[in-house]
Amino acid sequence: MTEFDIPRRAALALVLAGISAPHLAEAQQASIDPLLYGPTDPNAKRGGKLTIGSLVEPPALDPFRQAADARVRVSVLMYQGLFYEDPTGVARPLLAEGATPGADGKSWTFRLRRGVKFHTGAAMTSADVKYSYDFMRNAANGSPGAGDLSSVASIEAPDDHTVVFHLVRPNAALPMTLTNKYGAVVPKGFLDDAQSGPRMNEISVGTGPFKLRQFRPNSTLVLERFADYWQPGLPYLDEVTFVTMPNSAAMVVGLQSRRVDLAMFSRPQDTQALANAPGVEVHRWPSLGQKSLDLDCKFGPLTDVRVRQAIALAIDKKVVMDAAVVGYGTVIGTMVAGMQQGWGVPLDQLANQKPDLDRARALLRAAGHANGVDIELTTIIGYDWMEPAALTIAEQLKRVDIRVTIRKLELGVWIRNFRAKEMGFTFNDWGTTPDPGLLYYRHFRAAPEGADFRNWNNARASALLDRGQETADPAQRRESYAAFQQLLAEEVPTIMLFSADLLTANRTRLKNYVQHGTGWYFGLAKAWVEG
Amino acid sequence: MTAWRLGLLLAACFAVLLLAPGLVAPQSPLALNPAMALQPPSTAHWFGTDDVGRDVFSRVVHGTRITLGLVTLSLLLSVLVGGGLGVVAGFAGGWFDLVVGRLADMVQTFPPIIAGVMITGILGPGAANLVLALAVIHLPNFFRIGRSAALAEAQLTYVEAARAAGFAEPSVLLRQVLPNVLPVLVLNFVILFPLALQIEAALGFLGLGVVPPAPDWGAILEQGKNFILVAWWLSLWPGVFVLLSALTMSLLGRGLAEKLGR
Amino acid sequence: MRAVPGDIVGQMLGQTGSDRSAEAALRGFFGLDRPLWRQFLDWLWATLHGDLGRSWYRGSAVAGMVWDAFLVTAELALATLLLATLIGVPLGVLAGIVRGSRLDAAIQGVNLVGLSAPVFWLGLMLLVGASQLLDWSPPFAWSGPTEDFGENLANLVLPVVSLAMLQAAAYSQFVRGLMVEQLGRDYIRAARAKGMPPFDIYFRHALANVMIPLVTFMGLILVQILGGVVVIESLFSLPGLGRLILTGIQGRDYPVVQGALFFVVVIATTVNLGVDLLYGLLDPRLKP
Repeated sequence: MTEFDIPRRAALALVLAGISAPHLAEAQQASIDPLLYGPTDPNAKRGGKLTIGSLVEPPALDPFRQAADARVRVSVLMYQGLFYEDPTGVARPLLAEGATPGADGKSWTFRLRRGVKFHTGAAMTSADVKYSYDFMRNAANGSPGAGDLSSVASIEAPDDHTVVFHLVRPNAALPMTLTNKYGAVVPKGFLDDAQSGPRMNEISVGTGPFKLRQFRPNSTLVLERFADYWQPGLPYLDEVTFVTMPNSAAMVVGLQSRRVDLAMFSRPQDTQALANAPGVEVHRWPSLGQKSLDLDCKFGPLTDVRVRQAIALAIDKKVVMDAAVVGYGTVIGTMVAGMQQGWGVPLDQLANQKPDLDRARALLRAAGHANGVDIELTTIIGYDWMEPAALTIAEQLKRVDIRVTIRKLELGVWIRNFRAKEMGFTFNDWGTTPDPGLLYYRHFRAAPEGADFRNWNNARASALLDRGQETADPAQRRESYAAFQQLLAEEVPTIMLFSADLLTANRTRLKNYVQHGTGWYFGLAKAWVEG
Repeated sequence: MTAWRLGLLLAACFAVLLLAPGLVAPQSPLALNPAMALQPPSTAHWFGTDDVGRDVFSRVVHGTRITLGLVTLSLLLSVLVGGGLGVVAGFAGGWFDLVVGRLADMVQTFPPIIAGVMITGILGPGAANLVLALAVIHLPNFFRIGRSAALAEAQLTYVEAARAAGFAEPSVLLRQVLPNVLPVLVLNFVILFPLALQIEAALGFLGLGVVPPAPDWGAILEQGKNFILVAWWLSLWPGVFVLLSALTMSLLGRGLAEKLGR
Repeated sequence: MRAVPGDIVGQMLGQTGSDRSAEAALRGFFGLDRPLWRQFLDWLWATLHGDLGRSWYRGSAVAGMVWDAFLVTAELALATLLLATLIGVPLGVLAGIVRGSRLDAAIQGVNLVGLSAPVFWLGLMLLVGASQLLDWSPPFAWSGPTEDFGENLANLVLPVVSLAMLQAAAYSQFVRGLMVEQLGRDYIRAARAKGMPPFDIYFRHALANVMIPLVTFMGLILVQILGGVVVIESLFSLPGLGRLILTGIQGRDYPVVQGALFFVVVIATTVNLGVDLLYGLLDPRLKP
């Protein structure tokens, strides 16, 4: 862990965040948080253009209706929510200036920042904020973020610079929910047009540091500096171009030949060729993502909890991680690596984490599988880490007579199965906004409040998740989520394998780029180029 | 004639790899060895190792059976169904000829890889679906060959004579037309083989081919493309084998064409 | 196409959104709640009226997207055809003239290798070769020929070379065969006997007579190139038709896939028709 590129200031913030409970600085003064979007470089200079190589291209740029991670990565530069999801787990006020929870926990009052302008030129008011979040939480509008706002009953705008969210049930994680993954504050009325979603591929209407210049399908996305941006002096870069690259070898080649200034890699092996490349530096960052194995609790042999436990006991996560990402990651238990310190239960206090083949065999026998089990393991086309991981897991499970055949699915088909709760036994690769409620609730809370994709349908888990969301006291929240994690490890609806480090490589002319743990490009707001 | 001989020699080599890969490459193509990941070629591993430490030489050699086997199977299917339909259509004529002919035209207007992507997209990746996709792509070719050959034969006197002699149509088809169409179909099988092989490799490269851990050449290329700058051996050798086997079939095709006097 | 499992709605909502009403609302918005035959008939009806619809992701008109992508593919295909002709025809003519010699054998050997090398593999090798030996790579960010011609060429050179090798080999094989056939004809022998200079024999007579099949072959190759661009466009990030179709299939953007496929079929048919017409023009025997 020590080799990570955590900037000293951010590390300090992490310590501070631990002390100042609750985890958003209360009664924030009107000044702008210097740690928004990462540390500021006093030597930063304005100007310059940047080219970024990316393996994925956003299918569209609409922050309200596109769930794709490739969309979130770039749209956070153009659109902003009320808060910024600091990777340390703090919700820093962004378009809000501060937050005050009501006495009963069933309302939140947000004071809004003044002098914020949209890319359209209009000034932001509370009416825009109310409009935007009302649109998002209405399920009929088809926003993937609607579910996260199910605790909101109504939104009120008492004056131009205040909004009040009234809740059905208390939600301590509301500020963290009003961050930048889904939705944003846009001018009132903009979304009334049925074509507003596609329109956002031509213009941007957010309040972010960059605005959209051009978006060409299957090729490039160009953003330019927003001159009226509210953070004084930001951003430093005049123009950022995202180029869709065919594979990681092409990104390496592009960096070597100075075509590309910055690229993010999914597997560390891919950056080996850059180790001695002149003018290129490679960085490792802790991740808020996880690589996991999901177990549909209504799928064949997996219906029996003992089979799920046997699988967990037969897997050696470290070996799987080494095969997939050559050790560039952290083995995890029930919490992503970036949040383990704040929220995670230590691995030695969780059930089914250490390989125990004898117990696994005994469990299988007890479940009536004396002759072993045949099972299909699903991988997704295009996720390079899954194949070596699948081969390794197949070999590990063979030791307890679980015979694995590998199945490949195209992403579109995989998502269909996942959403229809027909995932079977599959790999998964997902990230989170840094809050345990946002990590667990939708995935593991029984229906109808949660989606319960894995058909776990566990009443105790649901009760714990409800309590975690409703209590404001951080110590009590931590306790609820710890108990939930114990249960998760015991019942094995999912096996969280490891968090792979994020690897970025950049030409040395790019300065002060800090990679956010989500993999999104927040860091470009404060990055600058030399010369 | 040297081309023919060279082709036969290469074909013999590939036949050995196809029938007895274990003799040539005794190491397991599937055994993982994480400690030996991405090792460059050495005396222990002639073609180096891949990212999970499998012996690439073994994988490429054992992959012969999978890659060439799948292509052969799909083309055979194509010859049987396409050629068969063509012969029947050419012989029978009428609405059957018209309908099947238009269908074949439709399939042929799609770029082959797009057709492959759509078929494997609907059915999902995997060896069986890959065979089906490749077979469908090449169906129109054999249909047309079978049809035009049957048309030509049907007008020849001996078929007329056979008909006049009171042979039932199916038996005329079987006894007279088929033996004469067969060489053309075989020749085109050989000629189309390299093209089918390239499509198979391309689909594998797009991730739509066989399911791991099978050592298909296209799949090894797909796996190797990200490592190409640090482990060139993963990408070089499967490509060379695709090239060589395509070359073999081209040489054989030429020789065969000369022998058949076409 | 629409029979492929999984649709755009799932991809838009991803792993988090799971609200059934959101799903239903989106499905209704795209018309995916109607039976397949109805969706197809609606598309056909609109297409026959010249409306290819709009991309579900991008919102832009499919006709425009397809046209932009077509320009990229057309440039790629024509450049490939040009290069293949420039390499293939002279090599073929040369091999035909010196048939039976070592030079002929060498050219034929090169042809066979060219015909056998997988196009995408060749492209990969060229990319690595260029970067490691010349410290050069394509810019990957696409510029049209009118925007920045230099960048445009830099993006095209590797894909064109990798595609052209195969076609040049095919060309050269074909032309060699034609030349050998022509040079064996009586009129050539007669011309030779009369002492006509070899240059005139080869280029005035023999080559003139192979023009017709050459044109036919060009059309065939053009159609083949169109089929081969899918992988090469993906390999070099070119925003052409092949990639448009591929990403469209992956994202389940049906209007785009249907529109692009429709266009490809029209193009292929047009090229074939054009070849037939040219053939008629060039070959006096086919005139009524």
